[in-house]
Amino acid sequence: MKGPNQEEEKEVEKVFIGGLHEHLTEEKVIDESQLVPNFADEIQKYGGKDVMTCLQCGNCTGVCPISLKIDYKTRSIIKYCQFGLKKYTLGTRWVCATCYRCYEHCPADLNPAEVMIALRHIAVREGIIPPFIKTAATNLVKYGQSVKPDPEIDKIRHELGLGPIHSQDPEYPKVIREIQVLIHASKYDKLIGIQEEVKV
Amino acid sequence: MISYVYFFGCVVPNRYPGIEYAVRWVTGKNGFNLDVADHKEFSCCPVPGIFYSTDKDTWLLLAARNLVLAQDERRQILTICNGCLASLLKATEYLQEPKNMGKANRVLAQIGKKYTGIPQKAEGKRKVFEPVKVRHYIEVMANDLGYDAIAAKVRRPLKNIRTAVHYGCHYLRPTERATFDDPNDPVMLDKIVEACGATSVDYEDKLDCCGAGGGVRSHVVELANSLTQDKCVNISAAGADCIVTGCPFCLLQFDNAQKSFSKDGIPVMHISQFQALAMGIDPISLGFDTHHVSAHSLLRKLRGA
Repeated sequence: MKGPNQEEEKEVEKVFIGGLHEHLTEEKVIDESQLVPNFADEIQKYGGKDVMTCLQCGNCTGVCPISLKIDYKTRSIIKYCQFGLKKYTLGTRWVCATCYRCYEHCPADLNPAEVMIALRHIAVREGIIPPFIKTAATNLVKYGQSVKPDPEIDKIRHELGLGPIHSQDPEYPKVIREIQVLIHASKYDKLIGIQEEVKV
Repeated sequence: MISYVYFFGCVVPNRYPGIEYAVRWVTGKNGFNLDVADHKEFSCCPVPGIFYSTDKDTWLLLAARNLVLAQDERRQILTICNGCLASLLKATEYLQEPKNMGKANRVLAQIGKKYTGIPQKAEGKRKVFEPVKVRHYIEVMANDLGYDAIAAKVRRPLKNIRTAVHYGCHYLRPTERATFDDPNDPVMLDKIVEACGATSVDYEDKLDCCGAGGGVRSHVVELANSLTQDKCVNISAAGADCIVTGCPFCLLQFDNAQKSFSKDGIPVMHISQFQALAMGIDPISLGFDTHHVSAHSLLRKLRGA
């Protein structure tokens, strides 16, 4: 895993933290200014459990299917969360497949998968929104479904004798309106940046 | 008799209409003749990898809206997708918390809806409500109908078909929610496959993730595909003729990913399609032409050619 701003990382001097991820231990030091105080509280606010209860046993990394494939260590990310090293949790937040294996194997009952989900909540609130989130949310407010309808599939539906998909029902605009009212009420349109699609 | 309402979700109606056909056929008058209604006002469940991951309040509102529709019809939701199951089931749990229910209902009032759960009986002046029941197709087949009933409807046993079943993560985990089957040693999908006359083969890392969930497929497709490749290597090693799953999103992943690492691929289908085959449906109705991996090899073996 690479930090987002390597220039900034090179300037690090002050605080020594051992046992962290390789690229951190290589440098041995990180700047105090990189530590975000109360980061653990922020995670709890979005539904994660208290990361301070993590024992750093590494079971979560051991059972994580993603960690076999890329440089992604669940334990390390929880460690960054404990220290408040917010920026090191950037970039890897969207690769968790939410398979919940880490949760099953966590002796501290921390549920690392939910921590990853809380980190995603924090990421979108900082404007880090992967394009697929916007696409799916746009599809939802337009068609009531996260997957965009496909005219070719509609033809096959017709051939099979299946009725048209819900969003083609003459009554469906009422449903779209309901969805948009809910999305607008929870300010999700603004959060994700799809205000122009929501007309309520 | 239990009353259900179909919840087809997003992937099946828009990508794999053959699955919708199979589910309707198996549960309909050609099959088990269950009391299942349609509801035209359902929306996306909403998908956990997008909405539960980015804003839980929005996720809960959208899920609650779907739950209210089923609640007002007094029906159990029949999902055919692990994602819909996980999302809606989790939402019913959240809504059991009075604070969450109150908060959601204050917003739902704007669209004239209210989630209470389904009223059961009145104890004196107090009404008792039960959360809306969210069921998975596999579990309904196994628990409400039973394997004997499934086997009794089989007209064309799928003998000699070696099947690799894939349960999918959100069917199994978190384990306290997956109470209908044993999360560490699930059997329902295997038993349905066997009731259809086929053989369920054991393969290494059977309970592993397909790689698609949580937005991984949408975000880094190569990463998702590499996990799928591992699964397919194990499935091939077990000599399977096809992959059968209860989750359309896992199916979509297996179906799309295989072309990135193999020429032919192993056909993959939903358990409802598999059952419909065994129950004697004409395979042309199963919409295999929308699948990327051709089901040709399997159908040829079925014909005994």
